Amino acid sequence: MTRKTLQDAVSRRKFLMTSGAIGTIGIAGCTGESSNGGSGDGGSSGGSNGTSEGTSEDGGSSGSLSGTIEISGSSTVYPLATAVSELFREEHPDVKINVRSTGSGGGFNNFFCKGQTSFNNASRPIKEEETQMCGNNNVEPVELKVATDALTIAVNPENDFVDCLTVEEISMIFGGDSVEKWSDVREEFPDEEIERYGAAETSGTFDYLTEVMGEEAGHTDDYQATEDDNTIIQGVSGSEYAIGYFGFAYYSKNKDRVKALKIDNGDGCIAPTLENAKTGKYTPLARPLFTYPAKSALAEEHIAEFAKFFVEKSTDRSLVADTIGYVPNSEEEKKQMMSKLEEAISSAQ
Amino acid sequence: MAAETQSDTDFGEVSQLKGILFEYLSLGASLLGILSLAALLVYVAVDAFGLEAADPLWFLIYFVTLVVPTLGFVGYGVKNRAVGTVGGTSLLYLLGGLAATLALSILFIIFDAQQWLLVYTVGVLPAALVFIYGRMKEWQQANLLTPIVFAVGSMLGVFLKGPLATFPQKWIIYLWTLGVPVAALLGSRALNRDGRDAAVATAVGTLAIAVAAALAGPALTGLNSDVTLLLGLFVGAPTLAYVARVVRTGHDGVAGLLMPVVIFGGMLLGAFVVQQVAVAQPESWVTWSYFTNPPSQLSAEEAGLFPAIVGSVFVITNVAIMTLALGVATSIYLEEYAASSGLLGKITRLIQVNISNLAGVPSVVYGLLGLALFINGLGLGLGIVLVASITLSLLILPIVIISSQEAIRSVPNELRQASYGMGATRWQTIRNVVLPQSLPGILTGTILALGRAIGETAPLLMIGAATTTFAPPTGYFDSVTVMPLQIYAWSSQPSDAFRYGVVAAGVVTLLIVLLTMNSVAILVRNKYQNES
Repeated sequence: MTRKTLQDAVSRRKFLMTSGAIGTIGIAGCTGESSNGGSGDGGSSGGSNGTSEGTSEDGGSSGSLSGTIEISGSSTVYPLATAVSELFREEHPDVKINVRSTGSGGGFNNFFCKGQTSFNNASRPIKEEETQMCGNNNVEPVELKVATDALTIAVNPENDFVDCLTVEEISMIFGGDSVEKWSDVREEFPDEEIERYGAAETSGTFDYLTEVMGEEAGHTDDYQATEDDNTIIQGVSGSEYAIGYFGFAYYSKNKDRVKALKIDNGDGCIAPTLENAKTGKYTPLARPLFTYPAKSALAEEHIAEFAKFFVEKSTDRSLVADTIGYVPNSEEEKKQMMSKLEEAISSAQ
Repeated sequence: MAAETQSDTDFGEVSQLKGILFEYLSLGASLLGILSLAALLVYVAVDAFGLEAADPLWFLIYFVTLVVPTLGFVGYGVKNRAVGTVGGTSLLYLLGGLAATLALSILFIIFDAQQWLLVYTVGVLPAALVFIYGRMKEWQQANLLTPIVFAVGSMLGVFLKGPLATFPQKWIIYLWTLGVPVAALLGSRALNRDGRDAAVATAVGTLAIAVAAALAGPALTGLNSDVTLLLGLFVGAPTLAYVARVVRTGHDGVAGLLMPVVIFGGMLLGAFVVQQVAVAQPESWVTWSYFTNPPSQLSAEEAGLFPAIVGSVFVITNVAIMTLALGVATSIYLEEYAASSGLLGKITRLIQVNISNLAGVPSVVYGLLGLALFINGLGLGLGIVLVASITLSLLILPIVIISSQEAIRSVPNELRQASYGMGATRWQTIRNVVLPQSLPGILTGTILALGRAIGETAPLLMIGAATTTFAPPTGYFDSVTVMPLQIYAWSSQPSDAFRYGVVAAGVVTLLIVLLTMNSVAILVRNKYQNES
């Protein structure tokens, strides 16, 4: 018994050595993969990107950039930002892009103004106190308009009593001292309770509508609030006396489920369409969408290139309008944004 | 008077109504839960696999080619136990090998293979050799030397990475660091069973299959040579060894080897017939490219979950290690060592109450804690793997502690007393009696807690984990996204293709990953349950 175990053990060791030897031969036989080549397993430090990364070439030729880009902000701009990131990575596959959907205000307050992210998307202009907060941390936001959204107010398709609302009537429905019943808005409307659906307070959409209705009037509390525009559409399509508001992209993809209302701002009823938003007729609910790069971050080549790429793509009709559902920038707006950006880049670098 | 006499002699009628009512109520309650969950899963599966688009004929074809033969074979296996055992084992070898290949592929996306080569060569391998030598010669110092060799060697390996510029190709690294140990393992098992010649044949055969798979595989399958090597090593070699053993020993259940053939053959045959007849197939969203593509905003068809899958697996592995270590240590201390009376006993009770309360704290609060403590306080990066792992660990730690304590408490005190009575120390008692007895319970609690952690979104949103990333994390300091975050982002997209198809596929993927990880834990648990 003992002898057998000993023999077992010895042969096991011998066997281990043999297989080890085979492996060594295998290694000796083949060399040739350089350590910094490979598919991105070279530098795994990542995280907060150092300036040493991504400053390899001045021309910014394709594929030469690397580094990490951190993006936070509005859920309305999120689809556009991810689409642009995707296209950017087709040209620069080594750039890591992390997109967060945090809401415009949430992004400014929690991440961007603390210097944690390089970009913050917003579906409304930055607020005074946010600029101040950013300034306290030496973060200087550069405002770039990247698209226009037509905020759409919609009712149930079975609702046949309303087609068009004036801005005043909208603030009667969604304003701070909102009315209870449809008949309170206009006398000929039915004597039924209004079911309101809208964006949550952290959303830029909420801020924007509040601003349109007037800051002192404010936004009603008596409504179903959500961050998810699909929920609003679901709510509106479920009840004949419901009304809600959301970004145009959600309307354009759900045209059979809800009925969009025309808006009368004193010049007759204007329907929410990309054309009307582009020509500026759809007031006051056509809202600009922004991305805010931090000026200091633009010193890094890959971030500056990305900002330029974003502005460049803002006029791409098939991307912005057809895929995402917003109004693209005009050539003139793009030029304006580009020169503003170039200026910021050159002062940062 | 008459009535009294009757009650003296008779038990009388006891109403059974309550009991029957209760039985059916509890049956109803369990059916309600199970059926609603099943309905939800079917609903999701129909969306995810696009079953609505399929022709009824498609279902019929696969029913005839795949379901009927498989069920028939299973029925045969139930009757003839030897065949059933062999069939089940061969399937287990195939699926286990596939799972191992997948896990290692993901692991080497995160960790640098070249770094692993160095750490393995100068750290792991020498330590293993010292350990084996110590076992063979009964050399006590080996137990002490092994960790030292391992630590020094590994550190050396990490530092060697800088000066070295050339490395072998990836499949050769795998062959050396994985192929050789697997060959050694299979060989040593064959040695114990069938002697020396079989051992050498097994080891050399294993390496030969791996090399052949690496050299010939890419041309045949279109996969990378490193993946085909892993397939050869973990699927091909063990399965072949098993087949050879069954055939050679003339096992009664030799026919069981046909089980995988019936299943995979049925799949192929079904696919062939479907192609010939040209019926409408389901437009499945769960495709291979869904697992390997980054997310896409531009087209729902090209969207994938790859970075999020890797991120989830990476984070959950870390969470599992951290919570098991911290949770088990805490519960052992609280149950076995901490004072139960006097002033210290009061403090223990206070801690106990706090842990119970922490288990009920909403997960967002843990997210805030992570944001305040690790990101704003310690200055760690936004939404990196390390912060995500620690935050989720803290979140489920109280649950793990409470369930582990419960498991340790359920070990009968007589066992402890018997152990002390035989002169064992407290440490020996815990090590050899309490832990093995309570491990199944501890693992059950941990599995449930991990299931919660893998589905968490709120705390990760707070610590700024990315909603969408296009590349998987490659280290602890890389930004990470996990499956629930990406699925949530898709669910609020305007277009139907994202909201139904892609989201449903994401839910199915999350379930697959969760079940795979749980099944590993359950296998470990059952092993201990059988032993104890």
